[in-house]
Amino acid sequence: MFFLKNMERRVTLHPSYFGRNMHELVTSKLLKDVEGTFAGSYYVISIMDTFEISEGKILPGSGLAEFNVGYRAVVWRPFKGETVDAVVYSVNHQGFFAQAGPLRLFVSAHLIPSDIKWDPNATPPQFTDNEDTVIEPGTHVRVKVIGTRSEVSEMWAIGSIKEDYLGCLQD
Amino acid sequence: MTSNNYNQFEESEDEDDFNPAPADISDDENAGNERDRGFKNEARDSTPVNKAEDDEDESLVASKPSAHAAEHDDERGDGEEEEEDAERTGNAVDDEEEEEEEDDEDEDEDDVQHGHRRKRRRDRRTAFFDIEAEVDDEEDGEDEEKDVEEIEDFIDNEHPDDVVDTGRLDDRRHRELDRQRELENSMDAEKQAEILRQRYGNRRPARGLGDSSFVPKRLLMPSVDDPTIWAVRCKEGKEREVVFAIQKRVQERMGTRDELAIFSAFERGGPQSVMKGYVYVEATRTADIMAALDGMLNVYPRNKLVLVDIKDRPDLLRVTKTPTLEPGAWVRLRRPAKHAGDLAQVLDVTENGLEARVRFIPRLDYGVRDESLNSVLTADGKRKRPVGMPGPRPPQRLFNETEARKRHPRHIQGNPTTKTWTYMGDEFENGFQVKDIKIQQLVVQDVNPTLEEVTRFASGAEDGTENLDMKALAASLKDSNANVAYLPGDIVEVYEGEQRGVVGRATSVSGDIVTLEVIKGDLAGQVIEVPTKGLRKRFREGDHVKVVGGSKFRDEVGMVVKIEDDRVTFITDQTNTEVTVFSKDLREASDIGGQGSLGQYSLLDLVQLDPTTVACIVKVDRESLVVLDQHGDTRQVLPSQIANKLPKRKIAVAADRDGSEIRLDDVVREAGGQQRQGKIIHIHRSFIFLHSHSINENAGVFVTRAGNVTTVAAKGGRVSSAGPNLDQMNPAVKRNPAGVENKMLPPKTFGRDRALGQTVIIKKGGYKGLLGIVKDTTDTMARVELHTKSKTISVPKEFLSFKDKHTGARIDIGGRPPRASQGGGGGFGGAGRSDASWQGGRTPMAGSERTPAWGSRTPAVTSGARTPAWKASAPGGDYSGSRTPAWADGSRTAYGDGNRTAYGGGSRTPAWQSGARTPAPGGDAFGVGSRTPAYASDAWGSGSKTPAYGGVSAPTPAASGGDSWGYGGSSNAYDAPTPGVGLGAPTPGALNAPTPGAYSAPTPGAPTPGGWQGGWGADSAPTPAAAAAPTPAASGSAYYGAPTPAAYGAPETPAASGPRYTDDD
Repeated sequence: MFFLKNMERRVTLHPSYFGRNMHELVTSKLLKDVEGTFAGSYYVISIMDTFEISEGKILPGSGLAEFNVGYRAVVWRPFKGETVDAVVYSVNHQGFFAQAGPLRLFVSAHLIPSDIKWDPNATPPQFTDNEDTVIEPGTHVRVKVIGTRSEVSEMWAIGSIKEDYLGCLQD
Repeated sequence: MTSNNYNQFEESEDEDDFNPAPADISDDENAGNERDRGFKNEARDSTPVNKAEDDEDESLVASKPSAHAAEHDDERGDGEEEEEDAERTGNAVDDEEEEEEEDDEDEDEDDVQHGHRRKRRRDRRTAFFDIEAEVDDEEDGEDEEKDVEEIEDFIDNEHPDDVVDTGRLDDRRHRELDRQRELENSMDAEKQAEILRQRYGNRRPARGLGDSSFVPKRLLMPSVDDPTIWAVRCKEGKEREVVFAIQKRVQERMGTRDELAIFSAFERGGPQSVMKGYVYVEATRTADIMAALDGMLNVYPRNKLVLVDIKDRPDLLRVTKTPTLEPGAWVRLRRPAKHAGDLAQVLDVTENGLEARVRFIPRLDYGVRDESLNSVLTADGKRKRPVGMPGPRPPQRLFNETEARKRHPRHIQGNPTTKTWTYMGDEFENGFQVKDIKIQQLVVQDVNPTLEEVTRFASGAEDGTENLDMKALAASLKDSNANVAYLPGDIVEVYEGEQRGVVGRATSVSGDIVTLEVIKGDLAGQVIEVPTKGLRKRFREGDHVKVVGGSKFRDEVGMVVKIEDDRVTFITDQTNTEVTVFSKDLREASDIGGQGSLGQYSLLDLVQLDPTTVACIVKVDRESLVVLDQHGDTRQVLPSQIANKLPKRKIAVAADRDGSEIRLDDVVREAGGQQRQGKIIHIHRSFIFLHSHSINENAGVFVTRAGNVTTVAAKGGRVSSAGPNLDQMNPAVKRNPAGVENKMLPPKTFGRDRALGQTVIIKKGGYKGLLGIVKDTTDTMARVELHTKSKTISVPKEFLSFKDKHTGARIDIGGRPPRASQGGGGGFGGAGRSDASWQGGRTPMAGSERTPAWGSRTPAVTSGARTPAWKASAPGGDYSGSRTPAWADGSRTAYGDGNRTAYGGGSRTPAWQSGARTPAPGGDAFGVGSRTPAYASDAWGSGSKTPAYGGVSAPTPAASGGDSWGYGGSSNAYDAPTPGVGLGAPTPGALNAPTPGAYSAPTPGAPTPGGWQGGWGADSAPTPAAAAAPTPAASGSAYYGAPTPAAYGAPETPAASGPRYTDDD
C-alpha cells in the first residue's frame, strides 16, 4: 500500500561545500541517499518535498555539517494479503517469479490454480491452462501477497494466484 | 428420558460412589465388607482356607439382614455389591452391560421421580430387576437376558427376605409387564421396532461418547477391601526368576495342605525401571507372604516388606509401551561390553519379542592379544584369566577371513560363497557380526546414528566401493529423534481429545504438559493445559518458518506455501526449493538464513575436491554437502571428502570472450546456450562460477568458462552521475589531486651519500633507540655501527634519524650538509630544514619569515623588472615602497614554489582574490604584498609585462647554471643568494619548478621560457598544467567551484580562468 510519509533524516555535508547553495546540495544529497531505497519494511518510492532543513551543525572531529531534514515521501509497504500487479520474469516448474516494482515475488506451483499446469515443452516453458492463460516471462499477473520477508536491502514475498480475480491480466 | 440423558449420566456418576470406592464404602459396616471380600476371594481363589473364610462370611451375611432390616441404605449397598459380585462370578464383566444396568437404574429413577427418595430406593431394587429384564430382553438379546436372570435367581435365592418384603409391589409390576408383553405381541414387528427406536434410539450414540471406558476403570479401582500388595526386596535383575519360582511353588503346593495364600505375584523390573529390585505380592496378610516366599532364592521377605498404597496400586500395573523394533532399525548395543555403544542394525526380531538379531561391525583382534595375555603366567604357574576387557578394545573392522585363518585356522568354518563364517563361536555375514541379543541389552531410543556410522554399514560391498545411498541415509536420519519441542510463544492447535480444535499460544511448557492461552473461539482468553500428544503446531500460508525437529531439513528456513493436515510445505529462503515437513518440526522463524554452513564450509564457498576438480557448495545438509563442480555436475559429498576450501581471491581476473577483463562481482551473460546471466562469485582458472537469483537449481549457481561470457556490467564501471560525494572533500577544491604528489620523487642525490659518517639514532625496528654511525649505504639500506656494542647492522634508511655529532640535536640530513644548517640557517629558517617532507618544506618557505629574507637578498635582481610590472597593472604608485619586497615574493612565487606557497599561506589567498579584481580597495590588505603577484599575473596575462618577467627570470638561470642538478635548476634561482647551500634548494626546487612552467608556458608566450627552456625541463611543465589548469575549468561552472582557483594559487590560474572570476563577480 502506498503512503505519504513524513520523515526526517540527518544529512551531512563536507565543509568544502559550504556556501550559498548548501540547501540545494543537502536536498540533492537527500534524494540521492533515500529515494529508491528499502527502509526495513517499506520502499521509499519518491520524495515529494523537503519541508524543513534545520540549521547545520558542525560535527566535532570531522568538521562535517549535519542538517536535520524533514521531508515528505511516497512510500510503498507491501502487506500480507495485499493484491499487486506484477510482471513475471522467471518461470520454472516450482512456480514463477514476478516483480512488482522493486518487490520480487514468488508464486509457488501450489498457489497456482490446479488447472494451470506447468508445460515444460512450450517455448519458453510456461504455466498454462491451455486456454487463454499463459504465464511466461513478461506476462502481467495480478498476485495476492501471502507472506513477506524483509532482508537487509530488499523485500521478498510469496504470492498466490489461487483465488478469484487473480492471475493473468489480459491487455 | 432422552432429553435429559446428560443429566442422568451426571447423576449416575454421582451414584457411582456407592461402588466400592474407599470413601463411601468405609461408611458401610464391617459385615458388609467382610462379606464382599469373601465373595471376591471366592471368585479369584479357591483355596480351602479362603473357602473357610467365605463360609464364615456367609454365615455373617445370613445373620445380617435380620439385624439391620431397617437399614435400607445398607441393604441397597449390599444389593449393588451383590450385583457386582454376581457379574464376576458369571465371568461376564462386561463394561457395557454394567453400564446398562446403571442406565436402567436411572431410568427407573425417572419413573418414580416424585416418590420419597428413601422410599424410592427401597423399592428400587426389585423394580429394577424387572424392568432390566425386559429391556435387556429386547435390546441385547439372549445372553444378557440370561445373565440378568442369573442375577435375579441369585438374588432371589440369596435374599428371600427382600423378596418377601417387596412382594406386593412386585406382583403389580409383574402383571403390568404381562400386559405390556401381550400388547407388544399384538403389534406388528415394524411398529414395535419403531417404538423401540423411539424409546432407545438416542441412547446408543450418547453412551458411546466415551464414558464407557471411563466408568469401569473407576469401578475396578482397588479399595481397602482388596488384598493388599506388598513390595518384597529381591536381588536386582532376578525379579522375573523370583516370580517364576513363586509360580512354580504355587503349582507344586496346589491342593496340598500348605497351599500358598497369596493371590498374585508380579514384578516390574527392567534396567530403567524404578521398581527394580522388588517383586510385588498380593496377599491379605504378611504372614501369607512370608510363608509363600520362605526359603526361596534371591528374595528377601524378612528384610522389609513395603505396603503399597491403594492409590499407587494402579500405577504398578500401568503398561509402558515398549518401542517396537522393526527390521532395519538402528539400535545401540549395551552388551557385550566390548561393543557397548556400537551401532547395530536390527535384522530380525524373534517371535516372543525378547530377542533381536542384529548385525554390527565386529571388534576382533584375531587372537593377537590373546596370546600375549595367555602367555602371562602367574606366580603359581596358573594362567591368569583376563578380567573384563584388557586394554583398549580393538577397533571396529569388518571380519576378515584371511586374518582369522592366520591364527585360528581351526576355529573358523563357513562358506566363502555366501560369506557366512563362524569364528570363535560368533557368526559373521558379509564381514558383519550377527548376533541374537536380548532386547533389554539394546538401546532403542535416541539412537541418533551419525552419518559416518551408518556409512560403514552401507559400504560393505564386495568390491569395497562405497555404494551408499545418500537419500536412504538421510531418510534414516530423519526419524532419529522425533521429540517435539514446544516453546512458549508457539501457536498450537489441539487436535485430539475434548478440546479438539482449540487454538492457542503456548505460554509455558513443563514436561509433556503445555499451558496455552486460547486465542480463538469460545474459550478465547482462557488458559488451559493440554498434553503434548494431542497438540500440533499451527501455521498459516506465508508464515516464515524454520525446521527445528529431527528432520533432515533441520535449520532450513522458508515461507509456508501449503498446509495439508500436519504436513507443511515451504519454500526455503536459500535455495528456493520446496520442502515438506511435519508441522511438529517447524517453528516460527524470525531470523533469516539459518543454516548455510557445515563446519568450515558454507554455502557458495569454493572448495577443492581433488587436485583437478573444484566445486562450489550449493547446498548444505546436516552432515553432507551438495557441490557443483567445474564441469557443471552436482554431487553429494561429505565434508571429509573435501580436500580444502579455496579462499575467495578478490583480485582474480579473467578475460571474457571479448577479451575484456572480468572480476568478481561483475555481471556477465553467457554468450551462447541459455544466455544465463549472473554475478561472478568465483573465478578459478578458466572457469567462472556465477550466481543468479532467477535460477532455482543449485541455489542459483552455475558454472561456465570465462571465454564464454560477455560482460554486462562491470563493478567498477559505474559512473557516479549524481555528482560529487558531499560527505567528502570537494574534489574541485583539492589542492593536490591524487596522483600528482606521488609522482614527485625525492631528488636523486649524486656523489657521496651524505649519510655516510653521520651519527644516527634508529627510529624503528628491533634496534630502535640505538645510537650508531653510518658506515656504508646503498640506495635504501644503511650499515650502522652501533655505539652500544661493536656490531654493524643493516637498517633501512628511513629508520634512521640523524643526529648532530656534538650537540645530539636532530638534524635533517636531507641533502643539507651540516655545515649549511649551521651557517646559513638564519635566512632559511629552521623550519624548512627540519621538516623532511616536501610539502612541509614548501610551506614554511611561504612563511613570512622567509619572505623578507628573500626580499632582502634579491633586491638587485628583482627591482628593475618589478617596477614596471607593478606600475602597469596598479596605477596607485604609492604602494611601491612597502610592496617591493612583496612583489619580490610574488615574482618568486611565479617562478617556482612561491606561487603556491605564498598563497598557500592562507592569509594571502583572499587578498589576492580581492586584489586581482579590485585593485583599488585592496590597499590595506596588500600590506604584505600578496596582491603583488596578482598584478604580476595580470601583467603576464596581458603580455606587456613579459619583459619584466623575463628580467626576473633571466638572473635565475644564471644562478642555477652552476648547479649540478639538472632539473632542479629552476629552483636554484631562488637559491642564488645562498649559493653555498647545496641541498637547501632542492626542496623548493623540485616542486616549484613545475608550477611556473604551467603558467609561464601558456601565459607569457615564448619570450619568458625562452631563456629557461633547458633548465625547466620537460617533466616539470606538464605536471601542473595537467593538474592545475583543468581543475578550475571543470569546476568553474558550479558555485562551489569558484573558490578553487583562488585556493590554487594565483599564478597558474589566471591564464585559464581569469575571465571567469570577473564573471562570477
